[in-house]
Amino acid sequence: MIELKDIVVRFGDFEALHNINVEVKEGEFFTFLGPSGCGKTTTLRTITGFIEPVSGRVIVAGEDITRVPIEKRNIGIVFQSYALFPTMTVYDNIAFGLKVKKVKKQEIDEKVRAIARKVDLSDEQLQKAVSQLSGGQQQRVAIARALVTGPAIICMDEPLSNLDAKLRVGLRNELKKMQRDFGITTIYVTHDQEEALTLSDRIAVFNNGYIEQIGTPNEVYNHSATEFVCNFIGDINRLEPATAEKMGLPEDENHFVRLERLRVNQTGEGTVFEGTVISSEYYGLYIKYFIDVGTQVFKVIEKNDGVNIYEAGERVAVSISRTDVMSYPAATVEQ
Amino acid sequence: MSMRKAAPRKLDISLLWKIFGAAFFVYLFFGFMLLPCLNTLSQVFTANPDDPLAVIKFFFAGNMPSFVWNSLKLAIALVVTVNVVGVSIVLLTEYFDIKGAKILRLGYMTTLIYSGVALVTGYLFLYDNDGIITSWLVKLFPDMDKNWFSGFNAVWFTMTFACTSNHALFLRNAIRGIDYNTVEAARNMGAGPFKVLLKVVFPTLIPTMFSLTVMTFITGICAMSAPTLLGFDSINPEIVRLAGSSTADEAFPQARAALLSIILAIFTIVLLAILSAYERKGHYLSVSKTKAKLVKQKINNPIANVLAHIYAYVLWIIYMTPVVMIILFAFQNHSAINLKSPSLDSFTLVNFVGTQDYEYMTSRGKLRTRVGSISGVFSNQDTIAGIRISFILSALAAALACVIVVVAVNYIFKHKNKLRSTVLEYSLLFPWLLPTILICYSYRTFFNSNDVWYVFNQNLYYRENVRLLIIIAYTVVKLPFALRMIKASFYAIDEELEDAAKNLGASGLRTFLKVKLPIVLPSVLAVFALNFNALFTEYDMGATFHSSYGKTYAMVIQNMTYEEGRDGYNVNATGRRNASTVFIMGVSGAILYLVYGVGARDLGERLEIRARRRKRLQAMKLRLTPHKAKAEPHTRS
Repeated sequence: MIELKDIVVRFGDFEALHNINVEVKEGEFFTFLGPSGCGKTTTLRTITGFIEPVSGRVIVAGEDITRVPIEKRNIGIVFQSYALFPTMTVYDNIAFGLKVKKVKKQEIDEKVRAIARKVDLSDEQLQKAVSQLSGGQQQRVAIARALVTGPAIICMDEPLSNLDAKLRVGLRNELKKMQRDFGITTIYVTHDQEEALTLSDRIAVFNNGYIEQIGTPNEVYNHSATEFVCNFIGDINRLEPATAEKMGLPEDENHFVRLERLRVNQTGEGTVFEGTVISSEYYGLYIKYFIDVGTQVFKVIEKNDGVNIYEAGERVAVSISRTDVMSYPAATVEQ
Repeated sequence: MSMRKAAPRKLDISLLWKIFGAAFFVYLFFGFMLLPCLNTLSQVFTANPDDPLAVIKFFFAGNMPSFVWNSLKLAIALVVTVNVVGVSIVLLTEYFDIKGAKILRLGYMTTLIYSGVALVTGYLFLYDNDGIITSWLVKLFPDMDKNWFSGFNAVWFTMTFACTSNHALFLRNAIRGIDYNTVEAARNMGAGPFKVLLKVVFPTLIPTMFSLTVMTFITGICAMSAPTLLGFDSINPEIVRLAGSSTADEAFPQARAALLSIILAIFTIVLLAILSAYERKGHYLSVSKTKAKLVKQKINNPIANVLAHIYAYVLWIIYMTPVVMIILFAFQNHSAINLKSPSLDSFTLVNFVGTQDYEYMTSRGKLRTRVGSISGVFSNQDTIAGIRISFILSALAAALACVIVVVAVNYIFKHKNKLRSTVLEYSLLFPWLLPTILICYSYRTFFNSNDVWYVFNQNLYYRENVRLLIIIAYTVVKLPFALRMIKASFYAIDEELEDAAKNLGASGLRTFLKVKLPIVLPSVLAVFALNFNALFTEYDMGATFHSSYGKTYAMVIQNMTYEEGRDGYNVNATGRRNASTVFIMGVSGAILYLVYGVGARDLGERLEIRARRRKRLQAMKLRLTPHKAKAEPHTRS
């Protein structure tokens, strides 16, 4: 559906994207994930046409659109700020693209009301100013506006970043449901790993203008291709040389293990470390422990079963299985 | 899905617009800002072909430095008193808990609805040698000097109270921006209210105070209407006098006017440079994320509290007396005004509309009548002509300034951080560096000729052409203010809005007209209204371009201050003057309401008001319907 081939983007002397290659399938929810300034939004803006690459090609449905003007690409966008026109009503916001395309008035009305129903906006809300809507409603208006012209692709640039945590989780689910209902190819930009993991069919992890890994959430999380991805996605324990030595891991590699893979006071295979609980963080669903095992302090997540709760100062045994360790050559540090 | 490739480039209309735009701004900058002012500068050195420094030597040999000194003296005195009064009125209404603060605030803010020549004439009505208050005072103290209200003291007194508008607006905002938690923290650590004021509140106000001080100094040094009407020899009135003089009467009048204008410009540039350097240092910013609203401080010491209340109300009386008296006497007949004794029986609307006969006794004791000689503002041909000309010229200039600036700012934002947009911005700010009088004087001398090719060799100071010259001057002078305000409003446009419109297929023009312009429109209309308001009663430029073809409203009002002739000349000028001031207050008040009241509402608020109105109508209809329903059975029975 969408192919980015050897895309290079420069801003003056600064090269923001280095040979980016991505292929997004039709109907897929594809996420660009990475820290600020890694090139994810630049890639998105290259697809939408706001940025012209110095080399490489953007291909959509087999057609090269690299030099096609923005308005002729047939790609809808939901902006980070939603970019709703504040001087227009909700109805006029959604109808804007259709009016520009000189669609007949009656057809505009039908299309606007139809898309509004699909995104759960009432007739009454259509007559309101965008400032009179809640954050979630504004997001639905932005999606309706982007979809009403019937684009082949929809691009979303951190559309949940302005919302509070609770609303963000709610809207995340709604967003995924809407994407499934419309069956539209979606490219989603975020720096929030949890958002990326819960929403996406596949994820491209960006770092310093490169793509570190493309894969499903499971691949990216459990089989991180690089040390950067491993560190960026989820919390992690980096094994100190003494710990690695005790586990018999190679010296010329960096070793990592996810917090939930460490087991406290559980028998089973793996290396066991005796240690003391230094402190804990109570999250309700789970508890995070900081356990000093002599060679280092481990961060461990344990399910809160209400029974096995460890106090600071308590002696515990932490076991790690070698199969849970992700190892990377020491030379492949962050690019 | 359809995807078309970009069409090959045809004749680009936007390129033609760009060329036209660039040519227009070059024409505007060189033709109406730089060249006329350079001509003024050259006049100083070319007035005497044998000695380029002759004008400067003559200037220092004569009494000319006294005009500069007088202006400086006024500016320095005003800095002290305007700051004292300005800070007082803000503290008394916003910081200290003074009873009746709302009413006090209304009184202190009256200078927002009448200023300049209207205000000065208002003060004259009270304090002139036959003014109401002077007349009362003379009755109380027969030996006192009737002419006490003239010269430096009169100008100083009038301008002290006239120039606090900026304090009332900006210092009030600054004090309201203080985080009350900082005050509470200081109080918690043992500081009393006055210690808190000095150590916590004042330091945060210093940047605003500095700006206000510089602006007050510039206002003082460039003062025009008060010195002219109250008789004080300062720079601006002298420039206007010299500009109208001829070499037959005195040496180098035009060149000396030019030199005075340049001296004024140097003062302005130096002060603005200081202000700009100070602003660049940065301001005190509140680091609080949860700012608490300022709570008014009670003055615990009972004596200090009483004194503060007395001070607040004395100031209020000074502010309100001219307003009350002007309104009162605007509705009094000619004899009541002459006798300074208002009464219900003397109530009339003739000062506004209609005419009356004027009866007077000649020196030989004969009673004469001049039919229809007493006339109101809207029935007096002279006044109506002044209002009409000021209305048209001000509206055109205010609109023109807005259009030029909106187009320019749109360009500046589109080409941020590029040299050409910086050049454009600074060229539009250029008139800010120059005193209004220099620009006007330069226009008057430079365009008073048939040799300026780029205005098609037309003498723009000749007959009706002067109106065009006034429009250009008004526009150019208002460009910097319009630029600062409209540019600030463009910052409110989220860049993603433009991207969104582009993505939805809108052209640059459509994006500008449908998305960006509606967002900045309230600010643009506000700038238009404020500029119109300022220009409508503008005095400095009106005085410089004064001619029978360009007699503005301010000049008509000035004529009303001339003594009324016993033989029917200028009859009822005082009544018309008061009515004019009331009219100006009404216009200004309406504009301020439209700008800050109606204009400040966003679409959501407007829709809410509309919905409330609809509900109210429905409720009224419902209230009527049951009556009908109840009425029917009665009629049946």
